[in-house]
Amino acid sequence: MNLVKIVIKNMRQRALATWLTGASVMLGVALAVAILLIKQGVQQRFEQGTLGYEMVVGAKGSPLQLVLNTVYNLDISPGNISWKLFEQLRDDKRVKLAVPFSVGDNYKGFRIVGTTDAFFKDFEFEPGRKPELASGRVFNFSEDALKSAFREAEERAREREARERGEEVKPAPEPEHVEHPFEAVIGSTVAEQTGLTNGEKFIAAHGVQPSAEAKEHTENPWTVVGILQPTHTAVDRAIYINLDSFYHIEGHELRAPGGQAKEEKPAAEEKDNDPDPGQVSSIVLKLRSPITAFGLYREINDREDAQAAFPAAEIRKLFDIVGNIDKLLLAQAILILVVGGVAIAVSIYNSMSERRREIAILRALGARRETIFAIVLLEAVTICLFGAAAGLVGGHVVVAMANGALYKASGFVIPAFHIQPLEWYVLGVAVILGAVSGLGPALGAYRTDVAKNLAPTS
Amino acid sequence: MSDAGNKTILQLRNLRKSYPSIDGDPLEVIRLRQFDLGASEQIVLVGQSGSGKSTLLNLIAGILLPDEGEILVNGTNPTQLSEAARDRFRAANIGYVFQSFNLLQGFTALENVLLGQMFGSGNGGTDRAAQLLNNVGLGHRLHHKPRALSVGEQQRVAIARALVNAPPLVLADEPTGSLDSKNGAAVLELLRRICAEGNHALLLVTHDPQVMSSFEKVVRLEDLQ
Repeated sequence: MNLVKIVIKNMRQRALATWLTGASVMLGVALAVAILLIKQGVQQRFEQGTLGYEMVVGAKGSPLQLVLNTVYNLDISPGNISWKLFEQLRDDKRVKLAVPFSVGDNYKGFRIVGTTDAFFKDFEFEPGRKPELASGRVFNFSEDALKSAFREAEERAREREARERGEEVKPAPEPEHVEHPFEAVIGSTVAEQTGLTNGEKFIAAHGVQPSAEAKEHTENPWTVVGILQPTHTAVDRAIYINLDSFYHIEGHELRAPGGQAKEEKPAAEEKDNDPDPGQVSSIVLKLRSPITAFGLYREINDREDAQAAFPAAEIRKLFDIVGNIDKLLLAQAILILVVGGVAIAVSIYNSMSERRREIAILRALGARRETIFAIVLLEAVTICLFGAAAGLVGGHVVVAMANGALYKASGFVIPAFHIQPLEWYVLGVAVILGAVSGLGPALGAYRTDVAKNLAPTS
Repeated sequence: MSDAGNKTILQLRNLRKSYPSIDGDPLEVIRLRQFDLGASEQIVLVGQSGSGKSTLLNLIAGILLPDEGEILVNGTNPTQLSEAARDRFRAANIGYVFQSFNLLQGFTALENVLLGQMFGSGNGGTDRAAQLLNNVGLGHRLHHKPRALSVGEQQRVAIARALVNAPPLVLADEPTGSLDSKNGAAVLELLRRICAEGNHALLLVTHDPQVMSSFEKVVRLEDLQ
């Protein structure tokens, strides 16, 4: 027989109260751990996701929106920028690689991204990691075909606007021959969740979000030609198509930079002054040297038609904002923990009337006051410690269970059973909480009048 | 009342104990000039209800402190010890049997006896506790909790617990008070036999004439004043 056995016996004797008070501590700890894990996991994944995207260029507007749209396939595009800007940046000596992206369609909620084959050949979404094919091939890209598609799209825009003004519309010239139209390379999550395989065709819907009213491009079915290996980034949830095919689609008319409809100009003037009327949603840049990054960043942001953003900086800003919400949630979890501590104190206090007799018996048998104090305190600490330990496990299990939904929503999972150093502090806090909540009842036990409580009760 | 030549295990001299009454004046519950109990001696101390019998036992056990007077148990005055030392002294030198058994309900018979051992000498371990329970006829009930035992069996567990540290002095406060006459007689006979066999002095307080009649030495509390 020893103190620990006495404590365990006491806890078992009041099993219901022990379970309930332990459960309240467990809930608080599980909530705190889940919040910490999810916050750190999401932040880590988001920050990791920006590693390959040194600088993003897009239309004026929110830089965060631009980053979310380009890097994570979230939110909507702030607008378009000109192809000419892409060409300038691609040819800039400070730029090592420029990859254009255009968005506007989806298939079953998965975003369709128009890009060039540079995305597969040269782009590293993380240092040393390029999108690799699990099967099939990538589409081929021809800049001539793209420019042809741009002119075609511009013609369509001009026709549409003429129709809206009630003017007679001349039939558009036959589109130039494009060698590899309507081919798609799909991310691993897209393949897994849609069941699409190489050679299968699918119909895209207009808009980056699924909608019942969205127009389907039934006239332009896409053929899957390649499936990418999992990257555990936003790449897994995207469908990549050839940029020139993107502009062949009805409805993908060119728009003025910033999202407004492109200003009508006489065809002759347009041809003379704007031989490459193309646009893209954004451009991802890899720079030759980080030293030149800020200069280029300033130059782009000084322009009226474009902005540059550093994805890593934007994501840090985002998490600075989200961090405050985390703190609120953590405060809530700590409150639950404190309520758990109060519940333990109340539970032990409530049992003190029956305990006083037991305490008196132990004292009569020779137990010291300090021993009695220690037994009660140890009981409160043990309940807190077991509750906290169960909460730690529970928090990880909650995250593991939430990972399925998280994967479906974002394409990545959080390492649910990776123990954070902070969790050891949680156990320490639980011990302190138990000690504080047990202190009052333990003092009450310490002061128990032995003779009075040994007297027969009947 | 110790026998000549026999070692005195308990000496009480000029003992007084009062409690504050409702009106604020002290209410004297113990006034005792002299009392001695020899080693292995068995004495029954009788008195009316409320005459201070339980208070006297609590004074001897060091649970209460007297206002005046001297208590010597096995040559030591427990009132002069620190509280912690007094607790240790009690565990090692005094076995206490209560009217209402005072067993811990969440513990088995064996564990209740081991609890007595834990705060005392700690000698003998589980074997001695089991042996004692066997001696009181509960060898087959070691792992039963008090609720699963009859009242007579519960008091036998309490007797085993009181003796587990082989104390020189056993105090018994109305040990048959919660038992029917048949069980009471059996428990009393057991207590006296085991104390005699183990050379434990026994001081038993009661107001039950049947219990008094079974003792050779009966002392009335009012005669000690």
